[in-house]
Amino acid sequence: MDIVPLDCLQAGETARIADIEGCVDIVTRLAEIGLRNGAVVRMVQPGRPCILALDNQRLSFRPEDCTHVFVEVVPAGAVTV
Amino acid sequence: MPDVLKVALIGNPNTGKSTLFNALSGLQSRVGNFPGVTVEKKIGRVQWGESKVELIDLPGTYSLAPRSLDEMVSVNVLLGTQADVGNPDAVVCIVDASNLERNFYLFSQVLDIGLPTVLVMNMWDVAADRGQKIDAAGLETRLGIPVVTCSAHKKTGVSEIQAAVERAVAAGPRPVASFFPTVFVTESQSLAEKLSGWGHPNFAPYLLERLLLDVGGWLESHYGGQHAHELFQYLQHARERLAAAGCKVPMIEARTRYAWARETLKGLVVQPATRAVTFSDRVDQWLTHRVVGLISFFFIMLVVFLSLHTLSPPLQGLLEEGQGWLSSQVAFLIGPGPLRSLLNDGIIAGVGGVLVFLPQIIFLFLFIALLEDCGYMARAAFLMDKLMTKVGLSGKSFVPLMSSFACAIPGVMAARVIENRRDRMVTILIAPLMSCSARLPVYVLMTETFVPDIRWLGGVVSLKGLTLFFMTFFGAFVAIPVAWILKKTLFRGETPPFVMELPSYKWPSAWIVLRRVFDSAYSFVTRAGSLILAMSILIWAAGYFPGNHQESDRLQAQIEDLEKQPEPPADKLATLSEKQNELTGALLETSLLGRLGHAIEPAVKPLGWDWKIGVGVIASFPAREVIVATMGTIYSLGGDVDESNPDLQNTLKNSKWPDGRPVFTLPVAISIMVFFALCAQCASTLLVIKRETNSWGWAVFTFVYMTGLAYVAALLVYQIGSRWA
Repeated sequence: MDIVPLDCLQAGETARIADIEGCVDIVTRLAEIGLRNGAVVRMVQPGRPCILALDNQRLSFRPEDCTHVFVEVVPAGAVTV
Repeated sequence: MPDVLKVALIGNPNTGKSTLFNALSGLQSRVGNFPGVTVEKKIGRVQWGESKVELIDLPGTYSLAPRSLDEMVSVNVLLGTQADVGNPDAVVCIVDASNLERNFYLFSQVLDIGLPTVLVMNMWDVAADRGQKIDAAGLETRLGIPVVTCSAHKKTGVSEIQAAVERAVAAGPRPVASFFPTVFVTESQSLAEKLSGWGHPNFAPYLLERLLLDVGGWLESHYGGQHAHELFQYLQHARERLAAAGCKVPMIEARTRYAWARETLKGLVVQPATRAVTFSDRVDQWLTHRVVGLISFFFIMLVVFLSLHTLSPPLQGLLEEGQGWLSSQVAFLIGPGPLRSLLNDGIIAGVGGVLVFLPQIIFLFLFIALLEDCGYMARAAFLMDKLMTKVGLSGKSFVPLMSSFACAIPGVMAARVIENRRDRMVTILIAPLMSCSARLPVYVLMTETFVPDIRWLGGVVSLKGLTLFFMTFFGAFVAIPVAWILKKTLFRGETPPFVMELPSYKWPSAWIVLRRVFDSAYSFVTRAGSLILAMSILIWAAGYFPGNHQESDRLQAQIEDLEKQPEPPADKLATLSEKQNELTGALLETSLLGRLGHAIEPAVKPLGWDWKIGVGVIASFPAREVIVATMGTIYSLGGDVDESNPDLQNTLKNSKWPDGRPVFTLPVAISIMVFFALCAQCASTLLVIKRETNSWGWAVFTFVYMTGLAYVAALLVYQIGSRWA
């Protein structure tokens, strides 16, 4: 599976978060709201900021230079989010 | 059971915690502030059978890892170290039944504290509608604490919480089994010994955990006392040891807690096989759409502002009438003299000056609370994020700045939702630049009197209207470079990523909305009101003393006697009033305020102003709306004129410098408007800034930078304008 930055996801694509790089404080904050390694997200609306579906919640998210979220694209139908 | 059962409520944002708090506490709640911080303290008192219950609603949060004093409050309340709350007997953790895994992060931290705990799975109906099945009884067995399912907005399951809390309290304190690996627990025990050696025995186990986990957190920089440096070094070494043992801080926390959440929920939650497109998703296809979303956004904002401007004036008129009636009652009871003047021109005018903003504040908060409670505000912030990043802020600054267009006070208070300190500070500091409703009278007076009546397109577009429109947005234009400079200098730092939950849409709850409106209005009147009143009395005294008012009072008494006659002689009355108004004007000129005006004339002359305008500006520093009334007094028309008064407009047009040149020209009028647009002439806003930033320094900074900006801008406008005109 290819690891790509989160921003590269197309609308409707589902992916598993592989790695979040950035300063500890921010990575912790993201984990608290649910964006953590292993979490499965679906891109609802790409852009800056984008809208992500994570379980039953919707998050608006704009990555910045200091944080990189890398994801592993999950084939369609494998996981429902 | 203790005499008063203290129960804390905690949960993630958007879990319906406020709805549940209201359902549990009914009307019996009061809102205040925890001392020294900006955290709202909501306490509800209810009777559960024999026992009195005190419910403490803690702010919605994703975690109990304190990064600031504000975030420390919830931890202190739960640990019983918040002096004004005391020891809680139990904690109710509210989670969103549709998002258990994420919500269990905070829940596991709550369990770590060791209080008797109840888990409430709220929005149970929504989860059921989604086709989600949760085995609540199985979860209760697995957790060993009472679990309640509830749909707070329908009031179902609320009464079960009472029994669950009583069961949890009766079961007594829970033994806390750490979620963390043994190596972490051992490290935490050594830290306890170390702290005990430094004279801090009995450190709460949860705080030990936090000390180790929170790199750069609030605890490590505030709990060391005289051993601060040693503690810091010790923690660094401890974290290195943990990392070497494969327990890397702080990542270990998310990993451990989410693993526990997954393990605990395993087999108990059945997700629907297919993803249903929810109502919120369908609405969001349009409301967050790049084009349709923005158009809807501007339409909603337009409706809000138009309603604000149509709904408030009648109420404001009513308040002004009430004020007039009260003044006339005072005049009827008390003869002309210092006491009547103090009551009417100082106190009643001062209180009126506060109350006149109330309709605006109430309606603004009504709209904000409605949009917030139905879930639209998060979408507005999402849509505006793109625009706000241009000046280095994020979408979260949008709501505070929008509110400031009606009044900066609720605007500054709304900045609390911005968790990034730099963004919050910049938003607070530029909020008073947005054109609030109190600036409008000045713009109206100046444009009506001095802007030529030029119309285009068959009268639809007028130069006066355009000037008003431009002045309304002038402050916001200036705010753009100010925000940019602040972000590049005083609040420099890396831009954190923007992440915000978009809650599901729902019908706003009337109770929550009205409660929020009431609380905001109440806190405005009590906190800001008392200051405006004090300042009004001060300004009144400065305008009244020193001076011999005997002659003026005698004339006033004569006028009132004549008015009591069945057919008052009109011409005689007019002569007397004119004489009386001249006398009042002269008294003001020799008063402290008038002398101050003359003293600052050299400073305001480069702006094209004479001493009278100077006095008006000085008098309006506590509250800018005072300007029109002060101008009325200075120009001997009496203080009860308003901005559309034709006499005031004519008098302004005819006033002359000693050498015969007219004082008011178009450049002077614009220079005054620009000054009012940018100047920090509002003591209440400065006071709120002091409270929200917890420092007089930032209030002084705001005052200085805005006043400086206003002076320079007014100077440029007049100097360039008068050369060109």
